[in-house]
Amino acid sequence: MLKINNLHASIDNKEILKGFSLEVNAGEVHAIMGPNGTGKSTLAAVLTGKDGYEVTQGTVEFDGKNLLELEPEERAQQGVFLAFQYPIEIPGVSNANFLKAAVNEIRKSKGEPNIAPSEFLKLMREKMALVEMNKDFISRSVNQGFSGGEKKRNEIFQMAMLDPKLAILDETDSGLDIDALRIVANGVNKLRTKDNAFVVITHYQRLLDYIIPDFVHVMYNGKIVKTGDKSLALELEEKGYDWIKELELA
Amino acid sequence: MIQELENILPNITNEYQKVSLQNAIAIGIPSMKQEEWKYTYYNKILQQGFIPKDVTSLKDLPSLNIEKEFIDEYSVSSNQLIFVDGIFHAELSQFNSHPKINFWNTNNISEHHTKDFLLELNNAFATDGIFLEIGDHVIAEELIEIFYINTNSKNIVNLKNKIKVGKNAQVKLAEYYISTENQPAYNNIVTEIEIAADSIVELDKIQDAGSLYNITDNTFIKQEKNAVVTVNTISLTGGITRNILQFDVNGEHATANMNGLYLLQNNEHVDNRTLVNHNVANCESHELYKGILDEKSTGVFNGKIIVKQPAQKTNAFQSNRNILLSNDANIYTKPQLEIFADDVKCSHGATTSQIEDSELFYLRARGIGKEVARGLLVYAFAADIVERIKNEKLRNKLQSRIAELLKIEL
Repeated sequence: MLKINNLHASIDNKEILKGFSLEVNAGEVHAIMGPNGTGKSTLAAVLTGKDGYEVTQGTVEFDGKNLLELEPEERAQQGVFLAFQYPIEIPGVSNANFLKAAVNEIRKSKGEPNIAPSEFLKLMREKMALVEMNKDFISRSVNQGFSGGEKKRNEIFQMAMLDPKLAILDETDSGLDIDALRIVANGVNKLRTKDNAFVVITHYQRLLDYIIPDFVHVMYNGKIVKTGDKSLALELEEKGYDWIKELELA
Repeated sequence: MIQELENILPNITNEYQKVSLQNAIAIGIPSMKQEEWKYTYYNKILQQGFIPKDVTSLKDLPSLNIEKEFIDEYSVSSNQLIFVDGIFHAELSQFNSHPKINFWNTNNISEHHTKDFLLELNNAFATDGIFLEIGDHVIAEELIEIFYINTNSKNIVNLKNKIKVGKNAQVKLAEYYISTENQPAYNNIVTEIEIAADSIVELDKIQDAGSLYNITDNTFIKQEKNAVVTVNTISLTGGITRNILQFDVNGEHATANMNGLYLLQNNEHVDNRTLVNHNVANCESHELYKGILDEKSTGVFNGKIIVKQPAQKTNAFQSNRNILLSNDANIYTKPQLEIFADDVKCSHGATTSQIEDSELFYLRARGIGKEVARGLLVYAFAADIVERIKNEKLRNKLQSRIAELLKIEL
């Protein structure tokens, strides 16, 4: 599904990704771990097409298409979803209007008609239950006045509504208390199918107690330096990241 | 124009109108050299060939054909007071009679001269207007709508309204500046509103008549103690629009709210000038004007708050926020505070920005195309003002209309 090969990317002429490669197939969950400042969020930004990043080398294929050539909205329409580390507040745009626009724009890109209002409401209610959102959520402005946990739950809710092929979760666990973490992880687990895939970017191991990854990659200095199964996450938790740095030097 | 006014002068028999016209001639046409007209070229309206007509010649106008459906497109109430080209249209109008809501005779209007060209022009040529009195303790549930409809007329339409609201009354009024077709029109309207103690009044001005409709609107409000008065000025489509809004806060514990939205495209020009005179202590004023300027449009905002020496404990807040969507659009904003009392809380500020990149990216990352994403964000910026309109039906109509203008579906 996703093939990243030798990706180099910089921001303000500073190289952050330095030969990052990863292949993700349908049905898989990949965790990317690593210390702060190692390029994890840059990877998420480059994959979703955020302005300001320059890809200097390497390729990214998604379902056989060159992902890097697509506009951010086209990537989303193709089925790439990013759960933001810092979700943006949009005063005045209700969650309902926001998601209706998103659902309809994605449908339009596939030549499908707009979703019927009743069907949309039904879908909203169903997915809200998944992340235990209150009813008033529908009419509230996107993320405005939301607590940290609510914002992250909203990201998972949006993911559930848009049903992407590939979801990238950027530090979705940061700032979550244990209840919110459980809700978020439950949401993700219920959405897992054999046809979709998840890339879970995280600094800590604890999210991986709930979302069991098929692969754990350790990222350092702009590339993957070690890959293993879920036991690697536990090892990292125990030993910290210092030994990884030595690994990179070796 | 001045020559034309001089030619009309001998035909005017009414002494008050005659003096008003002489004053207008003496004051002269507003010029961009004057500070308060620095950014609005008044002559551009007159150059379209508008001329004032005296009342007698207006009576010869052919009867005008307005479809009821046209009114219903805008109307959300069964109280409709309709003016067509400056003349009250009794057949189209309707009003739910109320024992304590009265219409006066035009002769009751107070005569006072000013040093303002537009006000004297209005004094000299006002053909008609609403003269409405809301009695004490009246709670008018139904919105009172006033329509200024222009067909195809090269007359300067001068209307003079006077509204008196009694003590402890509640009323909502809406004014619609509309046009049957995109035809040249120029309305110079003066509205005086006196609001007695403890009353709650909302006035919504809806300006949406197409690019050839010009407005100089002059609204003067005097409010007594505890009165809460809100004016929402929504400018959607128009040619040159200049809205003068003045509050005299004359009784303690009174609140004046002013909200404005201007959503401009093409060569549209909206000039909002507000003045709040805080004359007594313990009052509040809240002012928020928001502008969205696209293409070659121009916005002017001049908000002045004067806190007089006796007006201690005044809370006065003013803000003007603008989004520029084009490099060719211009906004001239000037918030002004003059404070002569020492124990007050006042703030003012103006911002001009573009759409936030982070917000735009967030929407696009959800599959929403750039244009729709922009539309949604601009809509949200505008909706903040529209949400302050209390009448739900009117609010909904405006929301749909703004969505239509921004080419988004909600």
